[in-house]
Amino acid sequence: MPASAVKEDCFRLPQNLTVRAITIVQQEMLQFLDKTASATIELDDDCQVDISFIQLMEAARICAGTAGKHIALARPASGPTLDVLTRSGFLEGMSAEDLKFWLHQGGIQ
Amino acid sequence: MSFPDPIAVFRTEAAELLEQIEAGLLDLNVNLGDKDQVDAVFRGLHTLKGSGAMFGFDALAAFTHHCETAFDRVRKGEVPATRELVTAVLEAKDHMRALVDTPNGDHEATGEALLANLRAAVDGANSSGAGSPAKAAPGQNHFKIRFSLPQNAMANGTNPLPLLDELRELGECKIVADRSAIPSLELLAPTDLYVSWEVELLTTQPRSAIDDVFIFVMDEMQLDVVTVEPPLAARTPAKSAAPVAEALPAAAPQAVAAAPAVPPAPAAPALVDAKQKKTSENVRVPAEKLDELMDRVGELVIAQSRLSQLAGGSGDLQLRAVSEDVERLSGELRDTMMVLRMVPVTQLFGRFRRLVHDLAHETGKTIELLTEGETTEVDKSVIERLADPLVHLVRNSCDHGLETPEERRAAGKPEAGHILLSARQQAGEVIITIKDDGRGINKERVRAKAESSGLIAPNANLTDQELYQLIFQPGFSTAQTVTNLSGRGVGMDVVKRTIDALRGTINVTSHVGKGSEISLAIPLTLAIIDGLLVRVGDGRYVIPLSAVEECLELPIEEDMRSRGRSFISLRDSLVPFLRLRDLFRTGTKPDPFQKVVVISTGSERVGLVVDQIIGDHQTVIKGMSKLHHDVATFSGATILGDGDVALILDVGHLVAEGQQQEAHLRAAG
Repeated sequence: MPASAVKEDCFRLPQNLTVRAITIVQQEMLQFLDKTASATIELDDDCQVDISFIQLMEAARICAGTAGKHIALARPASGPTLDVLTRSGFLEGMSAEDLKFWLHQGGIQ
Repeated sequence: MSFPDPIAVFRTEAAELLEQIEAGLLDLNVNLGDKDQVDAVFRGLHTLKGSGAMFGFDALAAFTHHCETAFDRVRKGEVPATRELVTAVLEAKDHMRALVDTPNGDHEATGEALLANLRAAVDGANSSGAGSPAKAAPGQNHFKIRFSLPQNAMANGTNPLPLLDELRELGECKIVADRSAIPSLELLAPTDLYVSWEVELLTTQPRSAIDDVFIFVMDEMQLDVVTVEPPLAARTPAKSAAPVAEALPAAAPQAVAAAPAVPPAPAAPALVDAKQKKTSENVRVPAEKLDELMDRVGELVIAQSRLSQLAGGSGDLQLRAVSEDVERLSGELRDTMMVLRMVPVTQLFGRFRRLVHDLAHETGKTIELLTEGETTEVDKSVIERLADPLVHLVRNSCDHGLETPEERRAAGKPEAGHILLSARQQAGEVIITIKDDGRGINKERVRAKAESSGLIAPNANLTDQELYQLIFQPGFSTAQTVTNLSGRGVGMDVVKRTIDALRGTINVTSHVGKGSEISLAIPLTLAIIDGLLVRVGDGRYVIPLSAVEECLELPIEEDMRSRGRSFISLRDSLVPFLRLRDLFRTGTKPDPFQKVVVISTGSERVGLVVDQIIGDHQTVIKGMSKLHHDVATFSGATILGDGDVALILDVGHLVAEGQQQEAHLRAAG
């Protein structure tokens, strides 16, 4: 399923978020961020994810931050996304801001 | 230039790994306490899992992981190696092959059943080992690891996650991703890898275990490993190595808060110079490329032969010098080419260990397979074509040759039957022998069966060898019962046909109650041979030089005296000879000084009477047409320097014919 905008500031990601399909996701997300000041990313609970997607989202956060835009996940990371975050060691080094973005948590408890 | 398909390369490597795993398991089955074999099997499974995951064979990686875990427990002394465990992993290994061959096939049910077997085998081993005390935990090592994979790693199919998982399996582990190199979205090359990792590992494993994790990416990655001294045995573990799936979202940040920052390295870093660590000493080349090269070398040898002939007839000394150089170079190239194609028979013998293991299980017999001369080398095309005949012969030995344990005990033999598979080189041939210490071939039963089926006349006068050769007739079986292994008379005729096609011979000896021995004499190569070029009448023929023992003169007077007897006295022994002029019906008069070329296979000798010996000749063997397939006297043809065709004599057939003639003459008195 190609990435497509569901509503004005909501960007629904496709099912396949692995290195095999990540290039097209990058292009569509760039176009989307270009058009909006505030983006909410919708992610299926059972999507296919690998590290390339986590990298992409981190890059998108940097891009949005530089442009003074806001980007957020519609729901806290769960399922395969959380699994990849955990296994890849991303959760271990997270700042409060990272935790807020990925897990919708207010800070380190 | 064509690049090999990575999946095909993986499949080739996986096949080799699976063979190694099987060999290790079979060795372990013989000696369950062999720790080296446990380690070897574990390493094979570990490598297969790792490379399978890397090439996208996820089902294979997941399935192999369970077997690897089982062997890891054996390795750590948590469970003993048992025959049940070996059998379960052997069966699992067959499943792994299916997962390699058809990764998208429906393997789930089979896989689950095999894993259930494996669990049962491990649980059984667990309970049997319950009496032995648990080993004291050895001292732990504390490593600080920093690594980054090549930037194009993901694009090339490497998934960092299984590598991180493997690190976790080594012990208590804290993994922190360093994402400082990730650029902004518009600058991101999305298939590149920007993340690197810092890992703190508390493990009982040695430093080499860390290298093993990265074995497939070692060449291009950056890996720094620091050993922290003294080991932090007393320190609170950084984090439990619990399965990832159990991690809860809320738990992760708490762990972050509790985890200490990675301190600066207190010890000197053991920097791995990865690029220097591994150097490849072998190059994998597809077999068909070698075949192509062999064809080209064959054409070169023919062209060189033509050049030699032209130069020989020319007075140009420079041309002769060049011709001699080309002859030397083409000879060396041919020899090098032959060496490239030679492979040890161990590749062939290896597969019979599993076959015998399975057949022993199937027949309820105790069978020990012994091998000899596994380093003997044979042309790869010969090896490939020998596999099927040997399978038939080994199955026959297991099923018909060897007795049941009860029968062997009753016969005063040890309960375990033995099969010896041996190889040795003899001149230009390899002799493969399958020998068993079973019941032997019952000659009376063979004769009765041959008479009843009309193969021989009643009371026909046959030598033992002729009688035994009857078992290679299509449909011939003396088995009283047909089993699912053999007994239908199908197989031995296939053996005979295949060996004939290889220009080989079969020799059978047997002693009732003591066992049988079947020897296959096969040429070392099917491509280019050294030949002796001879003239018979107006035709020229090639005799494989490896079969030539000596050449003698046969003066016409002696030829006249010997007429009707066809024997020549050679150092106090009589050797039968065949007059090729008569055999080929040349219709020409014999030369005044004929020559006898004495050829042999094994211990059998025969002389071939020719008109002239022209000299040695590098012979590129060309197959005969289908029309001439049944002409047994010739095994092929070759093209001479002047463009003429010379037929290559089939030594095995001619020796058999000479011996037959001798036997009949002796029988006639």
